[in-house]
Amino acid sequence: MTADRVRAIWCRELHRDDITVDDDFFALGGQSVIMMRIQGAFIEELGAEVPMDQMFLNPTVASIAAYIDTHAALTP
Amino acid sequence: MILVGEQVALPPSPVVHRRFEEHVRATPDAVAVVWSGRQVSYAVLDARANRFAHLLIARGHGRGAKVGICLDYSIDMIVAILGTLKAGAAYVPFDPAYPPARLRLLLGQVPDLALIVASPATAAMVESAGVEVIDLDQLADQLAALPATVPDVRTTGDDLCYAVFTSGSTGTPKLAAVRHEGWFNLMNWLQLEYGLHHGSHNLVVSAFGFDLSQRALMTPLFCGATQHLMASRNFDAMLAHRMLTEHDIRVLHCASSTLYLLVDWETARGGDALARLDFILFGGEALKSERLTHFARRPETTCTLLHQYGVAECTDVATSYDLARYRPGEHDVAPVGRPAYNTSIHLLDADLREVEAGQYGEICISGAGVGAGYLGAGGPENAKFTTIDSAGTPLRLYRTGDRGRIDDNGELVVAGRMDAQVKVRGMRIDPVDVERALGRLTGVREAAVVAVHNDDGEAELNAFVVPSDTELAEDDLRTRLLRTLPRNMLPSRFTNIPRIPLSPHGKVDRAALADLCRVQGADNDSAALTGTRP
Repeated sequence: MTADRVRAIWCRELHRDDITVDDDFFALGGQSVIMMRIQGAFIEELGAEVPMDQMFLNPTVASIAAYIDTHAALTP
Repeated sequence: MILVGEQVALPPSPVVHRRFEEHVRATPDAVAVVWSGRQVSYAVLDARANRFAHLLIARGHGRGAKVGICLDYSIDMIVAILGTLKAGAAYVPFDPAYPPARLRLLLGQVPDLALIVASPATAAMVESAGVEVIDLDQLADQLAALPATVPDVRTTGDDLCYAVFTSGSTGTPKLAAVRHEGWFNLMNWLQLEYGLHHGSHNLVVSAFGFDLSQRALMTPLFCGATQHLMASRNFDAMLAHRMLTEHDIRVLHCASSTLYLLVDWETARGGDALARLDFILFGGEALKSERLTHFARRPETTCTLLHQYGVAECTDVATSYDLARYRPGEHDVAPVGRPAYNTSIHLLDADLREVEAGQYGEICISGAGVGAGYLGAGGPENAKFTTIDSAGTPLRLYRTGDRGRIDDNGELVVAGRMDAQVKVRGMRIDPVDVERALGRLTGVREAAVVAVHNDDGEAELNAFVVPSDTELAEDDLRTRLLRTLPRNMLPSRFTNIPRIPLSPHGKVDRAALADLCRVQGADNDSAALTGTRP
């Protein structure tokens, strides 16, 4: 499941383990520099290139995972 | 002390878009803008901008008008900017990446705004302004019927070209207006001093509302080169790096914080597109040179790194320094160098008298870049623009509020804000000095220090450190800091944080850090209440 892998990355980069798939990135204390690290992790760990604009438009684990499943080619 | 920049004659009418029009005549087929897989030539861009200028003039928004632009980076944005200038008007950038509440605040601050150019994606953000909002696409038929020739408008170097909001760290943002002469002088200096030419293709990576973005947008068109724009509303290191790799881009202008992010991206993922640029011009905040040291020393780094200083009120850049000359062992901090052409840096005391050589003073700027002041501000803000007597002649200058000195090599060194100095136990301290000392410690990736007043009204320094590896212990930091700082300058509290919060402009968000201190203070108080104390 992409959402599980995305959630694991968010937990690591935001330094918390209580994140649900519907929590808002910014409400969790996120900011653009952390977003950039997550963007890098998506490339390295999921093989998915996600533009920052899409990360801003999809600020939850559920929505960004759905975006990745639809738009960004995943490499296993 | 005074540093005098080289005096270089400007044309009788130093008007920025006239230089662009010279390139239109000389190289009409050269590529002016590349965006989202599309491109326009100088001739096509000129024709579109001329038509938009005719439209503004026909609606009564000619010379002296102020035109708001709320667009994402696009060819239309460049058309709107050039068309506004050609009509004799000045543009005011409204950054669509700003939160709606901030945009509403800014919109209310522009006196006599003529209209706002927006797109379907941005129109809703500016509808609160109470002025007409227009969309270039919707006006396509009207525009096509207007002449493609340069409108006959007599613009002078004293006319306004743009006005940008200063960060407003002290509260309400202020709208700093810039004159054509200052902007022309800035780009003429960059072109001649650094040899920028028709091949000095540029990529814009900064937010539209930032003063340096106006320079980043116009400099390639001033030099006859190609402007590359990203189809992205938010800064995107991945896309930026891809653009640098895929296109023949030679120059970047950015805030220092943005440069760190780009450097980190290339360092983590390989490649040399950033390292092999001709120039990166950066500044806008105290430099954390440790963030660039490794990159600057890589053998493949052939790029010239220009560390610059300036203020929006004086057309963006006032001084420039080639970072290759910086020796961390010899210099305390990286200088910001020598003045732009036709620009002088004065170091003055509180009575506006020059300080002695090597002494600290307030950095004041005079010369071609001094702007027209704040728009819509009749009050004390404009007092920072003042006139002094210089050898019998009146000289207009701007007091930046920044503190600095001239080093032995005749380079300006910025040491923080005049008002950033706080009295801690009777000693005047600039938190930036402490920040730098912390930043030099092994194991510290980045540091920020803010002064907050405790319940007794006394200032305390709070340090935030981003560890490069494992969490840093307070005692260890204290011990090591004491080797370089007097005891009075030691922060009373150290906090490890994963990263330093940044403002929308990419600068260290000191207000957010101060808030964090207050929250921590409250936590400590409640801990004390539930503790063992009676």
